[in-house]
Amino acid sequence: MPPHPSEPTIVARGLARAFGARTALHPTDLALGPGGVIGLLGPNGSGKSTLLRMLVGLVRPDAGSAVVAGVPLAGDGTAIRRRATYAPGELALYGELSGRDHLGWLLRGRERAARSRAIALAETLGLPLSARVRSYSHGMKRQLLFSAALAPAVPVRILDEPTEGLDPTKRGEVLDLVADDARAGRTILLSSHHLGEVDRACDRLVFLAAGRKIADETAASVARRARRLVRVAYATEADLLLAEREVGRLAGASPRREAGRLSVLLEDDDPRAFLAALSDLRVLPAPQSVEYGQISLQELYRELYGVEGC
Amino acid sequence: MGREARFYAFGSLAYFVVLEALLIGAVLFWPDFEDNLEALRDMAPLQALKGMLDQIGAGGVAAYVNGQHFFKGCNTVGTLAAVIFAMNAVAGEAHRGTLELWLSRPVSRRRLLLERWVGGALAVVVPVFASTLSIPWLLGFVEAEMQLGPLLLGAAHQSLLLLAIYAAAFLWSCLTARPILIAFGMLLFTVLQFSVYLIQVATHWSLFRLTDIDVFVRIGATHALDGRICWPLAGVSAALLATALFVFERRTP
Repeated sequence: MPPHPSEPTIVARGLARAFGARTALHPTDLALGPGGVIGLLGPNGSGKSTLLRMLVGLVRPDAGSAVVAGVPLAGDGTAIRRRATYAPGELALYGELSGRDHLGWLLRGRERAARSRAIALAETLGLPLSARVRSYSHGMKRQLLFSAALAPAVPVRILDEPTEGLDPTKRGEVLDLVADDARAGRTILLSSHHLGEVDRACDRLVFLAAGRKIADETAASVARRARRLVRVAYATEADLLLAEREVGRLAGASPRREAGRLSVLLEDDDPRAFLAALSDLRVLPAPQSVEYGQISLQELYRELYGVEGC
Repeated sequence: MGREARFYAFGSLAYFVVLEALLIGAVLFWPDFEDNLEALRDMAPLQALKGMLDQIGAGGVAAYVNGQHFFKGCNTVGTLAAVIFAMNAVAGEAHRGTLELWLSRPVSRRRLLLERWVGGALAVVVPVFASTLSIPWLLGFVEAEMQLGPLLLGAAHQSLLLLAIYAAAFLWSCLTARPILIAFGMLLFTVLQFSVYLIQVATHWSLFRLTDIDVFVRIGATHALDGRICWPLAGVSAALLATALFVFERRTP
């Protein structure tokens, strides 16, 4: 039964999985959608792929339940995969097939029109569909999987690392297509281990670390919080030490030396007051660079969520 | 034609060509073999081989053809084909890294596995029947003859053993990601079984006794399959397939 238009389209309750002694995912709750692009972020080994595979029935959970597009997770998940497409993160394809034939193979069980839509998408992305897939580059294979996942008329798409290995231009094209697709009312859950790679297309970000969900925020909120981190670079180590001492005296600023730069965590989302105070510190030499609003996943986890070792 | 169907079709064709080549050679050699049967019997180093030659001496061209085609050709080439088709079915996908991709489409695992099982099973048995069909025609070249009916019953009997071997390798394929392990494991098993066959006091423990010349001679004489062998073989294949389905439903890609 399709979910009510206002109900979440991806729901998980206590979904958990261990592989032997290693816990890949601790009990996790999710309520995503309806509609929008949701980024599932976390470093390698954080449980992203396990969670995505469980949502489409490829991995059986040890505990918990899930409902995707109104279909409860049961058996081998075929019923869910009829209502949701999935693009695996693994890039192993059948090299002996042509791109066109591979799309046909990937779209088995989908409506007839999906194939022509996938071919059109692949052509938009510039894929040589007559060539054998074994001649494709890493990025081309990724785009082929993406084209197949974006073509069927389903309410949910689950994409594991859809931009991994793509150059910035192609990544932008792919994310634009994702955003366009979401505007048609679809819920798209995509994973990445690079914050700066996918967040521009996402409305919401879910963060995983060591198999646990550590945050679930709107992308705007994360961007706002990211602006709390200001990095200032100085020419010499002596300047950096001096800057650390002086900046530490400023209210609402916690400096830390890191990789030849000063990382300053602000209490306020708006960095303007700090930047004004910094420029007023006449004892300091002029910085080589000042950067804010840019944050890596590792920094985000450490500075904002207090999670180390990602 | 889909990629799986192509693999089975070409594999099956190659297997048929080898079987047919072996059969042609064996049939054309029959007159010489018949003339030299006594000498061959004297030269045979093992009692099991002498026994086999005695059976051919008693059964004539029918025993010879059954021995050459079913016992030798189908048991060796057929077992090899069964293992190749089975080991690539699931373990091959896992080894290539395409298992997740194969499972990610909206097609149930049961269906995917049954399609592969049936495709491989047909690829294993169709060449056995196809090559058997040519035997009466080939025998015409050496002025001998055999009835097609008992030959087809023999092919059915032989296919049941090959299917059991195929089903065992297929189950193994559902359990592992290393097809080479299946290949070596089945090769070791086959060599062991053949060694046991050659040991006079242990020969009745060999799987190959189920397709020995006397079994086919009996089928030819009674014009009926031997239920004491066929039903257990069919049961083993069915049980192995059911186990494979159970295992595959729960397999993590």
